[in-house]
Amino acid sequence: MYPKIIIEHFMHPKNVGRLENPSNIGTYETLSKAKAVFYFLIEDDIVKDIKYQVAGCPYAIAVGSILSEYAKGKRIFELAKINKKFLEKYFPVDEDKEECINLPLRAFLNGLSKI
Amino acid sequence: MRVYFDNAASTRTDERVIEAMLPYFTEKYAIPTSQFSHSFGVEVSDAISLSRQTIASHVGASDAEEIIFTSSGTEANNLAIKGVAYANSNSGKHLITSQVEHLSVLESMRKLEQEGFEVTYLPVDSSGFIDIDKLKLSLRDDTILVSVQLANHETGTLQNFEEIANIVKGKGVLLHTDAAISYPYINISADRFPVDLMTISPHKFYGPKGIGILYVKKGTKITKLIDGGFNEFNIRAGSENVPGIVGAAKAVEIFDYKDVEKIHKLKGLLVRRIEQEISDVELNGSRNNALPQIANYTFSYIEGESVSLRLDFEGIAVTTGSACYSRNLQASYILIAMGKSHEQAHGSIRFSLSKYNTEEEINYTVDKLAEIVEDLRKLSPLGKE
Repeated sequence: MYPKIIIEHFMHPKNVGRLENPSNIGTYETLSKAKAVFYFLIEDDIVKDIKYQVAGCPYAIAVGSILSEYAKGKRIFELAKINKKFLEKYFPVDEDKEECINLPLRAFLNGLSKI
Repeated sequence: MRVYFDNAASTRTDERVIEAMLPYFTEKYAIPTSQFSHSFGVEVSDAISLSRQTIASHVGASDAEEIIFTSSGTEANNLAIKGVAYANSNSGKHLITSQVEHLSVLESMRKLEQEGFEVTYLPVDSSGFIDIDKLKLSLRDDTILVSVQLANHETGTLQNFEEIANIVKGKGVLLHTDAAISYPYINISADRFPVDLMTISPHKFYGPKGIGILYVKKGTKITKLIDGGFNEFNIRAGSENVPGIVGAAKAVEIFDYKDVEKIHKLKGLLVRRIEQEISDVELNGSRNNALPQIANYTFSYIEGESVSLRLDFEGIAVTTGSACYSRNLQASYILIAMGKSHEQAHGSIRFSLSKYNTEEEINYTVDKLAEIVEDLRKLSPLGKE
């Protein structure tokens, strides 16, 4: 029913929670009030630390975890390019799951742009 | 441990039901239409008559011919609503239902609207009770049918059906109730309640799938929807599902109210433990006027699909929102009609019990549930702030 990687990250999400002193915070909320928040510690354009929170479905939780893991130590200009295509390298993105994936992805990207 | 709390979707078939059905696959496999040609047909015809009789006496029908077999509760609802609408359209083209009915009722009504009928969808209050004043105001001279559920399949809220029936019958309008989730947990019978049509679904009470029952009071004008032969008193064509009919009658016959007491106690334990051990939970539906087998809760700040998936990994089967909606994450239309917010609807979990559940299963489930809710809340940016 769910791709293996989604199940893995859903059952054991990485980087869950908040950062004490984030340099950037990105949030996104859907019309149905699902919400995602990313906390970044960015120094010299590099993500030094990252945490996230999601109130959403298994896909949203898992994608948040995947993004947070990927982002650590990466340059923000690289990360700003992340889109649906990037996630398709991890798992097939069905049309009906796009909204669930957008939730953490938009919060993530919103955080990067607020410097 | 594997725990099944999705009995509002379907229940395990009772062994006695299966045993009763088996001969009708390998020994008595004719159909009753052949009764005029050979003895194989006669014995099957007799079995169906007996089954019809059994069901009729349990549901308070005055005549066995008031029991019509269909393929499902969904078909029974379709037949009741469209069948009555088509047969009575000379008297009027207005029907009344509620916003929280099963999709088989709502979609039948929508189909009729496309065909020129007019439908009033009664609102419900925050517990899911139909607005009785609105019902009174909605009844018109051209109203031909009122179809309201006895209880809700998602929240378990039990309507004030006697009051509804008195109002509707007082106006001389035909009344259908979808009792698919309620019968026989709620001992409704046609001789005590003035209903004209009633939908019953045997697989909700340990009977087989693939068989539905529509009680149709004698003299009710109804148009058949499935055309073909003259089966089911020319109300529903098609070769009879003989094993299904025999199994349905067995399920009706052996239903034991002691099991309802047991389920009621189990639900009590579930409700008590959830409310004592998990914070920020809300019971959806009526606390006191509800089916014994359904408890629906919203766990604030988290999403139902995540809860149900985590529970599934612990071997526990529940549903979120509504079984039909869990795939596209749309919030339950029933909870929305009750005035719940999208967050509340998305965070809802339905537990539905059966006689096969145990106290141990309830305790295991609440133990796991408390852990899962705590975990997911740690992950959630929402909360009391």
